[in-house]
Amino acid sequence: MLEDIISKHSASFASGVHTELRAQVNKSRRVTLLAGNLTANSRSDVSGVSARVYKNGVYGFSSVAEMSDDAVRTVLKEATSNADFMDRHIAKGKALFPAVSTEYIAPGFDDADVPQKDYIDFIRMIDDYIAGKYKGLTSRAVVSTSDSMEKLLCTSDGVSGHTAIPRSYIYVFLNAETPSGVPVELFKAFGGSGSFYKHFSSPDTLYAGIDALYEKLMQKREGIYPEAGLKTCVLGGELAGMLAHEAVGHTVEADLVLGGSVAASSLGKQVASELVSLTDFANTAFAKEAPLPVYVDDEGIAAVDSEIIKDGILVGYMNNRETAEHFGMKPQGNARAYLFSDEPLIRMRNTAIHPGTSKLEDIIASVDDGYYLVDTQNGQADTTGEFMFGISMGYEIKNGKLGRAILDTTISGVAFEMLKTVDMVSDNVSWSSSGFCGKKQPMPVGLGGPEVRCKVMIGGR
Amino acid sequence: MENLKLTAQKVLNLLKDGGADMAQCVATYKEKREFNVDGGEFSLFRTTFDNSLVLTAFKGGKKGTISINRLDDEAIKAAVSDCIASCDSAVADDAWEIASTPDSRRFEEGCVTPDLDKFFDRLRELMENIKDRHPLILMEQLIASHVKTDSLYLNSFGVEYETVGGAYSVDLMYSAHDGERGSSFFGSGVVFDSLEKPIIELASIERDLSDVEKQVDTRPLEGKFEGTLIAPPSSLASFLYYALSNFAGDSTLLDGTSIWKDALGTAVADERLTISMNPLDERIVCGDRYTGEGYIAENYDVIKNGVLNSFMLSQYIANKTGLKRAPNDTFSMVIEGGDVSLDEIIKNTKKGIIVGRFSGGQPGTNGEFSGVAKNSFLVEDGKITSAVSETMINGNLADILKNISAISSETVCDGTSVLPYIAFEGVTVSGK
Repeated sequence: MLEDIISKHSASFASGVHTELRAQVNKSRRVTLLAGNLTANSRSDVSGVSARVYKNGVYGFSSVAEMSDDAVRTVLKEATSNADFMDRHIAKGKALFPAVSTEYIAPGFDDADVPQKDYIDFIRMIDDYIAGKYKGLTSRAVVSTSDSMEKLLCTSDGVSGHTAIPRSYIYVFLNAETPSGVPVELFKAFGGSGSFYKHFSSPDTLYAGIDALYEKLMQKREGIYPEAGLKTCVLGGELAGMLAHEAVGHTVEADLVLGGSVAASSLGKQVASELVSLTDFANTAFAKEAPLPVYVDDEGIAAVDSEIIKDGILVGYMNNRETAEHFGMKPQGNARAYLFSDEPLIRMRNTAIHPGTSKLEDIIASVDDGYYLVDTQNGQADTTGEFMFGISMGYEIKNGKLGRAILDTTISGVAFEMLKTVDMVSDNVSWSSSGFCGKKQPMPVGLGGPEVRCKVMIGGR
Repeated sequence: MENLKLTAQKVLNLLKDGGADMAQCVATYKEKREFNVDGGEFSLFRTTFDNSLVLTAFKGGKKGTISINRLDDEAIKAAVSDCIASCDSAVADDAWEIASTPDSRRFEEGCVTPDLDKFFDRLRELMENIKDRHPLILMEQLIASHVKTDSLYLNSFGVEYETVGGAYSVDLMYSAHDGERGSSFFGSGVVFDSLEKPIIELASIERDLSDVEKQVDTRPLEGKFEGTLIAPPSSLASFLYYALSNFAGDSTLLDGTSIWKDALGTAVADERLTISMNPLDERIVCGDRYTGEGYIAENYDVIKNGVLNSFMLSQYIANKTGLKRAPNDTFSMVIEGGDVSLDEIIKNTKKGIIVGRFSGGQPGTNGEFSGVAKNSFLVEDGKITSAVSETMINGNLADILKNISAISSETVCDGTSVLPYIAFEGVTVSGK
């Protein structure tokens, strides 16, 4: 656990500016068994201190890869000097930010450091299970990853913090071929927030999930290409979460709004059907702890939920302190940095579409001719809200019943148009939290949603 | 550099004391100076001082790797202990190998000492040039940096490489707007080691900005056709990265899913296509001089005149498969220009699409790709007729490599690669 070497330096913060001082360690562990070969076996610890100084509308930032009083003095001096440089060249003359509350409550965290042997032994048992039971695979991979961001923060507003976001996952990839020799692949991520031991006590707890994954792969082997065009589709919860994050969430990050995103002209307007509400949750969602809870951000703002879409109307953006001033909104704890050497950026936390009242089986029964799209492997969108998601598992729906599986395909559309077609929303939310969001820096994020019925373009072959 | 040498030597000694029979260490010190523009305005000046130490040990055929960024004794001792523990828990595999011929070299590359005032002047000039010449452009973000790197590679066989390098880079992310009409965002980037030229003249930045301004007005494509995909360097790099990773890279050769696994020495592409990985090319800025396994990097051709000349394999995968290691492990891709101009390629296109950016997932190992054509123009009867939106393209990477109709005489060098425009036939383009 990090030792507090920064608090005592708050007395030396320059006056007339905002200062944030941070000490941080990022840990990551990775072990990969590819077709039984241990192709990755690595551990990484990255730590150091950084300071950011805000002066008259510009920022100076500096970091040093050391945990020492000298390093703290260096980053404070360099960040101040960099802010002076920018102020000299780019005179914006903006005022300081309004004062913020220094109150927030963050629970403790589990910082158990797991020996590499435990990761390897565990996934070897998983790999042995797959190799022993399933002979028809063309390849397989089992990957164990753990990462954590532990931060100490001290700001000129008087906010101090000591928080961490640890998470641990095991990914299982299974590959096979269709009867005509087309490769098909599926993967599943097990795990979530917290240490490896919290999720992985015994390999047999994963076997049912692996068996289900294999069954799905065998269905996919016999799959068909979907018929291309605008279709009625039921999106699975993780796909709805991907839509919430990629196609809506990024467009309402205030820095991207200032950069010209579609949301710049949509505030207060209807952007989705009345059945759709969407929130970037800070630490608690639907009365449970969110997958990757955030309690205070790296500008020292106590994290609260950011309401984005309410009953189909775009009601807010995600901000840092500077953009909140610009838009006349409140900062809600979205400014987060990945490494000690990174400056805080506006980032999502746990972004989800709210559940509705329909049952999944009723939604499927309501579709005469369409598709149930269950899993996605990737998704991209841009600030126009135009999106493309790869579909790795799905089924056709004929006369209200699930039919054959489909082969890999894509769906595409424009978020604020497609969301207006949502006419049924299930009462069950699925979350995923194993990925990184990319935006100059990576960042662990949670995303989720219920099953939704909508109209969307699906690619054929 | 002396500190890095002492650190690396100390690490090797400790790893050997811990029982390693082979070991390597890469110690690096980096200084980064970075300017940011957000929403069209300069916002941040950032300086970072970073270390990294990557230790790899092999013990009885078992491998462990640890990376840290602290170089103090306590951190090094803990890292060595973790590294040996990782080895002990690994699976023995005789295929692991690192460079074993003693060698000592020093490399100095690029512009080691930045001229920050001049760099900042060039950046202000860039922003002014964009404002004057491309008034519809809204700069979402510009990240401009100079990175100075001191690096030392040392292994237990007496291989020692010292590298001192520095380079500027500029990455721009922008879109064009006219009232409430707007284009998709687009990214341009360049790595360079001289401040002699205005930045807008480097790589394809000026042309990219002009193209994006023309994408304010788009129309969705109606229907579907099979035609020509004209890939500018911006999307060509993605298509070729996907193809070569899937067909010639470590993972798919190891697990046997590469569709080129038996194709060495046979035609896999049009005979006009030669794809080289040339980190030593003078147009590549600060190209890698040695591989991750300690071998001196040499330029090589993956595909030569359409024939698969080499896989892109590490020594480890080469040993596992009985194939040859690639002479470098970079993606410093060089394709020389062809004999026809881009204008001629467009004139000769009956129906096709110029795809500035491909938004799609990683194609499967069979090479099937499907995704949205972003920042793209429709070409009909030899002319660009409109920018398009909500348009998808589908095809197969292995098939289109054999189905090239033209390679442009123009090439774009962005400091990391040199690429022309290539026209591929047989791609399905579909709209609403």
